[in-house]
Amino acid sequence: MQWLVTRIVFVAVLCGLTNAANESPEDLLRGAITSQQSGDFDAAIRQYREYLKLQPNDARALSNLGAALVHVGRYEEAIPEYRKAMKLVPDMPAIALNLALAYYKMGQFQPAIEQLVKVHKAMPTSDQTTLLLADCYLRLGRDKDVIALLEPLAKRPTDSMAVDYMLGTALIRDKQPDAGQIYVDRILHNGGSAEALLLMGMTKMMVADFAGARADLEKAVQLNPNLPDVYSYYGSALMKTGDTPHAAEAFRKELETNPNDFNAHMYLGVLFKEDQDYAHALPHFERALELRPGDEAVRYQLATVHMANGNLDQARRELESIVKQSPDFTEAHVTLATVYYKMKRKLDGDRERAIVQRLNAAAQAKQPGVKEVQSGASAIQQ
Amino acid sequence: MVRATEGGAPLFQEIPASASGITWVHENAMSPNRYLPETMGPGCAFFDYDNDGWMDIFLVNSGPSDFYTPPKPLRNALYRNNRDGTFTDVTEKAGVVSAGFGMGVAAGDYDNDGFTDLFVTAYGPPALYHNNGDGTFTDVSARAGLGPDVFRGHWTTSAVWFDYDNDGKLDLFVCSFVEYGREHMMMCGDNKLGHHFYCIPRVFKGTPSLLFHNNGDGTFTLASQGTDIEKSLGKGLGVVATDVNNDGRMDLFVANDTVQNFLYMNRGKGPNGKTRWEEIGLAAEVGFSDNGQARSGMGVDAGDIDGDGWQDLFVANVDQEMFSLYRNNHNEDFTDVAPKNQIAGATRLLSGWGLKFFDYDNDGWLDLILANGHPDDMIDQYSQQVRYREPLLLFHNDGGRMRNVSSQGGPTFTRMFPARGLAIGDFNNDGRPDILIGNNGGAPLLLKNNAGAGNRWLGVRLVGVHSNRDAIGARITWSAGGVTRSRLRNAGGSYLSSHDPREILGVGQAEKIDWVEITWPQPSGRKQRFANLPLNRYVTMTEGKETLS
Repeated sequence: MQWLVTRIVFVAVLCGLTNAANESPEDLLRGAITSQQSGDFDAAIRQYREYLKLQPNDARALSNLGAALVHVGRYEEAIPEYRKAMKLVPDMPAIALNLALAYYKMGQFQPAIEQLVKVHKAMPTSDQTTLLLADCYLRLGRDKDVIALLEPLAKRPTDSMAVDYMLGTALIRDKQPDAGQIYVDRILHNGGSAEALLLMGMTKMMVADFAGARADLEKAVQLNPNLPDVYSYYGSALMKTGDTPHAAEAFRKELETNPNDFNAHMYLGVLFKEDQDYAHALPHFERALELRPGDEAVRYQLATVHMANGNLDQARRELESIVKQSPDFTEAHVTLATVYYKMKRKLDGDRERAIVQRLNAAAQAKQPGVKEVQSGASAIQQ
Repeated sequence: MVRATEGGAPLFQEIPASASGITWVHENAMSPNRYLPETMGPGCAFFDYDNDGWMDIFLVNSGPSDFYTPPKPLRNALYRNNRDGTFTDVTEKAGVVSAGFGMGVAAGDYDNDGFTDLFVTAYGPPALYHNNGDGTFTDVSARAGLGPDVFRGHWTTSAVWFDYDNDGKLDLFVCSFVEYGREHMMMCGDNKLGHHFYCIPRVFKGTPSLLFHNNGDGTFTLASQGTDIEKSLGKGLGVVATDVNNDGRMDLFVANDTVQNFLYMNRGKGPNGKTRWEEIGLAAEVGFSDNGQARSGMGVDAGDIDGDGWQDLFVANVDQEMFSLYRNNHNEDFTDVAPKNQIAGATRLLSGWGLKFFDYDNDGWLDLILANGHPDDMIDQYSQQVRYREPLLLFHNDGGRMRNVSSQGGPTFTRMFPARGLAIGDFNNDGRPDILIGNNGGAPLLLKNNAGAGNRWLGVRLVGVHSNRDAIGARITWSAGGVTRSRLRNAGGSYLSSHDPREILGVGQAEKIDWVEITWPQPSGRKQRFANLPLNRYVTMTEGKETLS
């Protein structure tokens, strides 16, 4: 969805400049605006900062400064400027949208969502806000939220491939492949596209047709290597079909164009971990956790890396926190028991081991979902 | 380096039935309902039933059961080695025709009479065949206390003879798989093709494996009651008896399908006089994957792959799980080193059953053979990355690190098999360990070893006197060319199969073997050193006897 975001950033910044230019006649401010309009963002930033020393409560100047900082990729500096502007004019959705975009660019989707929800509430008919919010939900794996947000939009006559793509993706990931297929078909109706092939690949991944998915995703990659997620899913398909060297390459390619892709970081971390290359696995898991704060699967992977690196206390703390939050997370109990045993805390290890046994017994008791054979088996006693 | 073969022959050469005379074919009883036992066998064994110094072959077949009535009688097969590369079927004469729906086999001289006996596991009652010493066997299961009642509710798979209490008599451990039978026989829905498929064992309840104490009078007593062996509900498929902490007591590593593997540490006799078993699979880090998940453990083995004097472990799993090579850390825990030994990547899409550490080129380092095959016969039709028939894998040990040399193995390593059991044995007594593989629903595969040209060896048959006659648990140490190596005489390993009891000590290019020292297992514990040894031939070393035979 990078193309979508770029367009929104462009619109948001222009609005800010127009308003600022109308309301601030001072030379310093004019100079800053002129610099920004001419694309000299470094000069604009310097001039805004000078102006703001004199007029620190000019919300539009603060917002424009934020926009200039965003243009040069200084997102972390832009955020406090937007925050100051919002304090001054809390009811201006354009600033909240700009702030959301800064978070989005940094891959901090949760705070982006917090701002976008406000903007969406203020401007419910803004498709761009809706799509950006949906994209954030999608990236955080909040598929049901994507569906709730986009289904009303999809009912309207629209030729938005973005809606079809995101909604189709969310439905497929939400284990509604039949519903998702409608949107795949809609994209296919407009000709074989990378988006359609990506969705088809995702659908096949869901039903464990990894080789089929691999073929679709390979074509998708060839059609549009810059399509967000395409290399990530291609990498997953390669991984599932045993081609881990090329899977790692695909994940790396995804991260070249989409450095905030959760799955690419996660799976690349897993591949490094499988090779026991914990030094390279660690930063990918850490980045994945930044992208999805609190994600238990990532936290668990991080804990296993800590354990493998001999950082037992760090692993213990993380695992204790995980099992407290999710007491039925069997694998976390297994690893926590291992950590305790390594720390020579046998009693604690035994306690965790007992929990593992209890959880496994409970899981076994739920088996099987199968029918007894109705056949004319011979009557020979066992 | 992988040692070359003589005349450019492949490392391993298939001996066809037309040349070996082994015409027996396994019947897997495959039915439209896909009953699970159909896909699990067969096991196989190298053993010398007539004490002529040449390895004979035993092959296990299916048979009548509560879901299968064979259209024509089925039988196991015992092939006598004719000492010329051919075999003669002596099954009927030997009286080892059938034990029902057979699974695997464990060979061992449980009564120390000098003749190797057979325990044949089964879906249904297993059978203990006593070797009468005259070329025949007698089914003594009931008389020995190993009758059907003892095994009710147990589907037995791999078994191993070993002396857990060091009383000089071989005891018996029997893996028990899942609850299956008339009341638990299940059908796992239709697959994409609209057919039933073999259930993943996850749906079935686990069962405890069984340990029997040898009473020394031809009978056995169930000895696992009240121990961790009984408390651990597993789905046992593979077992190896070894000593993982070098305390002189044989421990057990058991591979379980879809539940954690068990490592039973033999803690010796407790205050009540009973041997105490402590299950430490989780703490030892051999129970679960690195991600805390139970896998589908099938084949297992133990061996000292890095020459540090400690037993490392191996377990094979199903596709996507990868196999594990566990390095012994000398403190009752292990580290999975499969990724650094080319094993994890090579096995990602394979399902492994029979396997064995063996020094195929006699360079003194234990190499590894893996026999593979997916349990679902229809997998090819709905998966493009996994096949029902799978290739064998061969790894060469390059001084402590495994390297995949399957591509150098010969044409057989380019073919695919529904492999299950695997046994190692030198059937032609050339000092190069050969391979026997049991294929599900097919003919067995006999592979002659041509590797290690120019490398020298000494074949050793150990005969215990005070210790168990098969010398399970003995440690062999030898010195040649300035290098000292040791090997523990483990028992079991692989899947459903039993191996040549002789140990082949590879010395590489060394001109002579300086000495061999045997530390006999308890209750003897005696150390004996032999010098002035010949090379490139087999010798018998008898406990307490200073001369070779």
